[in-house]
Amino acid sequence: MRFLGSALVSFLVLAGKVLTKSSSGDSVLVLLDPSLSRANYSIFFGGLEQQGYDLTFRAPKHASPAIAEYGVPNYSHVILFTPDTKSYAPDVTPQSLVGLLSENTNLLIALSPRQTPLTSLATEFSLILPPPGTPLLSHHPKRPEPANVIPVSVSESPILTPDTNPVWFSGVPHALGNSPYLVPILRAPSESFAADSTDDSGSGTILSASDKGGEGFWAGSHIGLVTGFQTTKNSRAVFAGGVELFSDEYAKKALPSGQRSGNAQFARDVAAWVFQETLTLRIDRTEHHRVNETAAPEMYTINDQIVYTAYISAYDRKTSSWKPYSGITDMQLEFTMLDPHVRIALPPVSGEPGKYEVQFRAPDRHGVFKLVVGWRRKGYSFLHTTTTVPVVPLRHDQYPRFLSAAWPYYAGAISTSVGFFLFSALWLAGDVKGEKKNLKGVKSE
Amino acid sequence: MPTAYPLPKDLSPAIVTNTASLLRIIALGLISGAAIASRLFAVVNFESIIHEFDPWFNYRATRVLASKGFYEFWNWFDPTAWYPLGRVVGGTIYPGLMATSGVIYNLLHALHLPVDIRNICVLLAPGFSALTAWATYMFTKELKDESAGLLAAAFIGIVPGYISRSVAGSYDNEAIAIFLLMFTFFCWIKALKQGSAFFGTIAAVFYFYMVAAWGGYVFITNMIPLHALVLLLMGRFSSRLYVAYSTWYAIGTLASMQVPFVGFQPVRTSEHMAALGEHSSSMYQLIFIHLTLTGVFGLLQIVAFAQLVRSHVSSKQFQELLVSAVISAGVMGFFAIVALTYKGWIAPWTGRFYSLWDTGYAKKYIPIIASVSEHQPTAWPSFFMDLHFLIFLFPAGVVMCFRALRDEHVFVIIYAVMASYFAGVMVRLMLTLTPVVCVASAVAMSSLLDTYLDPKEPDTDEQKGRSALVGTTSASIGTSATAAPVAAPKKTKKTKEKEAPVAPGGVLGDLVSGVASSAAAAVQASETASTSKSTKGIFGLDTRFAVIMNTIGLLLFFVLHCTWVTSSAYSSPSVVLASTSPDGSQHIIDDFREAYYWLRQNTAEDAVVMSWWDYGYQIAGMADRPTLVDNNTWNNTHIATVGKAMSSPEEVAYPILRKHDVSYVLVIFGGLIGYSGDDLNKFLWMVRIAQGVWPDEIQEPNYFNKGEYRVDDRASPTMRESLMYKMSYYRFADLFGAQQPMDRVRGQQVPAKGPTLDYLGEHSVGFRCRGNVSNSSSADEAFTSENWIVRIYEVKKDDILGRDLKIANAFSEGKKRKRSKPVSRRKAIRGW
Amino acid sequence: MAGPKTAKLSSPPTTTPPETSVAVSMLWESYMQQTPNRLKLIDAFLAFIVLSGVTQFVYCVLVTNFPFNAFLSGFGSSIGQFVLTASLRAQVNPQNRSEFKDVSPERAFADFALGSIVLHFFVFNFLG
Repeated sequence: MRFLGSALVSFLVLAGKVLTKSSSGDSVLVLLDPSLSRANYSIFFGGLEQQGYDLTFRAPKHASPAIAEYGVPNYSHVILFTPDTKSYAPDVTPQSLVGLLSENTNLLIALSPRQTPLTSLATEFSLILPPPGTPLLSHHPKRPEPANVIPVSVSESPILTPDTNPVWFSGVPHALGNSPYLVPILRAPSESFAADSTDDSGSGTILSASDKGGEGFWAGSHIGLVTGFQTTKNSRAVFAGGVELFSDEYAKKALPSGQRSGNAQFARDVAAWVFQETLTLRIDRTEHHRVNETAAPEMYTINDQIVYTAYISAYDRKTSSWKPYSGITDMQLEFTMLDPHVRIALPPVSGEPGKYEVQFRAPDRHGVFKLVVGWRRKGYSFLHTTTTVPVVPLRHDQYPRFLSAAWPYYAGAISTSVGFFLFSALWLAGDVKGEKKNLKGVKSE
Repeated sequence: MPTAYPLPKDLSPAIVTNTASLLRIIALGLISGAAIASRLFAVVNFESIIHEFDPWFNYRATRVLASKGFYEFWNWFDPTAWYPLGRVVGGTIYPGLMATSGVIYNLLHALHLPVDIRNICVLLAPGFSALTAWATYMFTKELKDESAGLLAAAFIGIVPGYISRSVAGSYDNEAIAIFLLMFTFFCWIKALKQGSAFFGTIAAVFYFYMVAAWGGYVFITNMIPLHALVLLLMGRFSSRLYVAYSTWYAIGTLASMQVPFVGFQPVRTSEHMAALGEHSSSMYQLIFIHLTLTGVFGLLQIVAFAQLVRSHVSSKQFQELLVSAVISAGVMGFFAIVALTYKGWIAPWTGRFYSLWDTGYAKKYIPIIASVSEHQPTAWPSFFMDLHFLIFLFPAGVVMCFRALRDEHVFVIIYAVMASYFAGVMVRLMLTLTPVVCVASAVAMSSLLDTYLDPKEPDTDEQKGRSALVGTTSASIGTSATAAPVAAPKKTKKTKEKEAPVAPGGVLGDLVSGVASSAAAAVQASETASTSKSTKGIFGLDTRFAVIMNTIGLLLFFVLHCTWVTSSAYSSPSVVLASTSPDGSQHIIDDFREAYYWLRQNTAEDAVVMSWWDYGYQIAGMADRPTLVDNNTWNNTHIATVGKAMSSPEEVAYPILRKHDVSYVLVIFGGLIGYSGDDLNKFLWMVRIAQGVWPDEIQEPNYFNKGEYRVDDRASPTMRESLMYKMSYYRFADLFGAQQPMDRVRGQQVPAKGPTLDYLGEHSVGFRCRGNVSNSSSADEAFTSENWIVRIYEVKKDDILGRDLKIANAFSEGKKRKRSKPVSRRKAIRGW
Repeated sequence: MAGPKTAKLSSPPTTTPPETSVAVSMLWESYMQQTPNRLKLIDAFLAFIVLSGVTQFVYCVLVTNFPFNAFLSGFGSSIGQFVLTASLRAQVNPQNRSEFKDVSPERAFADFALGSIVLHFFVFNFLG
């Protein structure tokens, strides 16, 4: 419903000749720390506004405008560029932010090496932050900038535009916990590490840490700098290790190689993902019916041939509309009662975009089954749908009757009946004769 | 001839006969009225509501039958029962009860009487109790005479042992089955007496009805062949027996196979056991092997044939023939049985065969069966409670049967012995004992009354010579049965006057009129019986008066007792409870319906509710929600799953709940108002049943503290961690403020700091902005009824961040989490 | 269970051990002389039913008992009809007059007809 509503909104906005790109709404609340100059982020914010987002700025300590009223969020997206803020207005707590996610509001959060309420929030998302005051350092490549301002090359990801130039990064790294919902976007360079000073004196820590087998050590390419998180409700959150990543300064800063930095592009891509512009899929509807029928029956009979169809759309940011999407090739359908009884590929139908169809035989087992489609791929919206259908045994008149093997029995039963009638006739005839003999019969019977 | 009191001389025999039969009809009518009326306490005290547990399913099934017709009902697959297994209802029930109500419903609607199906269901049992009284009358009449019949009818009409299962609203199979039982037995006796194929056929048809109605049909299946066998062994073979038994067996067996639930069982398993059908299945174990049925049939055929042959040849030749025939038949039979057993067609010697006689078997090995209170052995006081003075008259009646010992008396004796044994084993089988107790007691009491109402006084010495002709005058059971309608010459005006005013007096009047008319009949009977003189008898009026008054007093107390027991003990619907305040006013506790209706109105239609199986039918019937398990216990594992979920800690139970799509968990908790039938008192059964399937994970001793079942501070840790304990006492302490909370059922003080729940309760992760801080820390139960009897908890959904719910809860309560360190990925080279 | 028994019924006239052959022949003679014609009619019908029942039983054992319900109803109809007819025979047999005081031969036949009709109703209901 929410999708439909927002699609309608975006349609209306389109009609107003304004481009809106998000599939979930265009109102954005930006909590901007007073220490950060809004002008320094004009490229990022300007780009959003240009896209059609409606940005509202607010200082973290101000109570208004409220993030949510009466349990309903006022904004579709919230950007928290408050890396160093220690105290917030009462409506911003880690708990309330998680609550926002459960109401399908997306979060873009910037962290910093300082310990803030957002640090404990990150923990809930299975991100493991280093101790306070330990930014990411790297001495490679050689460059005039200090060790904590690092050019990071961008790896391949469906979220990002291919061949994005390396981006400048400055801030705190985080190790990734084992949550399956994490979507790594930007990894640290392999020669970088987290340490509590900007000079080389940290090398001793590195050595002692590597002696311990790397335990408790934030270093190397397996730690993340910018990481997304997609909740089970498909709302998205992004934790960026430093807010400067989005700044005009870094966007304009040339890389050591002399190229233009990829920050502006990267920031736009990250925002597009977290605001549910890209990689957003949904199941429009599902259908199921018996072979050669069209309507879904109330219940299936065992061993029925069932046809299951799912229609899937992807959000197209260019036209701000949902378009049928046939790009999924590894989707599966499960026919489940406690355990999957059937697990079968649900391939796209060629020629009919967005349609995925499969035919299968219901198991020889009655019960309440669920048709389950679950598709979870990193970065993409999770697709999940269940339909409950009872599978019933054969009706009493659906069993085969009058088998050829049984003809002697039929013959036996019929002959007995016929015999009974013949016998009765003979008997009664005999009775009549007897009656004549015995003068007056007893015809009372 | 001397008489104790004057008899009117001027009455024609016809008048006496007509008056007697009119009185009988009136008496029967009043007995029926009393039987129905005394069963209406439940409706008067409470309301027209379906009682208990199983009747709720029957009611639900009947509604399906009434609305969709018989064929749809036959094919009915109920996806909401035993979620997600579903239940093939049509093939797993005895449809007789529902079909009966359906027929009545359609009939009334055809007559443009738009009666609600619920009222038909509620009032079916009282209606059939009237028919039972009539059938008992007919049965006893065959045994002795009409007066005994009327007494028996009056007894069965109001005896608590039968009322307990047939009050208005007790819409269960037993409601119609006892009538069918008695009527089938009546037809059988009649068929046997007359050698009539007609009554044999009727018996078979009613047997078919019985098979379709109640699992207790095996009682008939085994009683009748046993009777035939005993008669055979007593050397009482007759063509009448052959006709009656053959007809009944041939048609009845074929007919019983028409019932889908019974199917081929009559010929396949010798024990005739419906494996794990209704939980009355344990009853089957206790009753005879089915082999007798077929065996007796075969035996009868052989004996009949032998008789036929015998009539044509001399005895010496007959013996020769017999010897060779017996040998060849024996050899053939042996090979036939070996072959059949080898091929697995009949399975006579299964493990259960041995358990038939070991009544403790079920208790030892099948906790599900043992956990049902109906399956406990009968306590001695309940015999008196259910049967009152009949239990003392019963042996006397059986002795009377021994004195007459015609074929039908043999039947009653066998019935009495079998039913007594089984009633002692299992409470619910008291029901099958009740009819025979009524019959035997009626025979005894009627004999007593016959003797003492007989106006004749014994002969003086000079007349003694002729008296040798008549043996047992005092009882005169034997002859009077057939001779009753024969005209009696005289009848006292006094007796008639006595009858007239008391007849229309409700329950009491019924009984008295029964007695009175039996007295009248006794007068006739004894007079016809002893036209010759007798030596033994009663002199004078005083003796008679004393005995009769005593008897009437007994009957009066019986009526009082029955009324009292019915109104106080057996009329509670158990869906609605009543408590009496100190000032005597009644307070209705309606927690069950309150909770079920809450479920019905506040939850999604497909929300699965988990509860202990006792409440499955009620939830399905009143809340209309899918249930995990219900009172039909055919799948042990599924019940054990629920038992395991209830007796495990939350984190173990949660995956089970999620796997079964459970949305709500319902527990019954009586600790606040002292309702002792709550889930904590049944908890050990859950543990036992779960232990039967998962002996490694659930162990009963863990729930005890040094052998004691405690719920207070000394409760064992396993007990305190269990879901059942937590759900029962969650926030219980809050009710008591600063006081020590007290569980009134178990009489123990529970800890002041109650358990916490992480996986159940209010959906707490949701975004709440009511206060300034999102206050989601209170994980409330979803619903608790007024008196805390029913508590419903919602099973939380998975956390949206994929966290463990315990951690998520701690977070939303604002607790700091311990800092974690990144997992090392280089453990392998640590030694380097 | 009637299987062995029915087989026995037909066996005495044909396969007989020598020592009992005298008895059997006497039996046969006595039967032919003393039995009224009406009873012979019944016996003929009985023989037919036995034949039919035995055939079905043999077929069941040798070939197949599937579908089992068809076998049961076919065989059951034979057994049922047999015992009903045998009952009728017992009831109309003048020798048994004393035993069946309440059942006149006409009443016996009506009973027999009713029983048979009920039986055949169940048989055909169960057949398919």
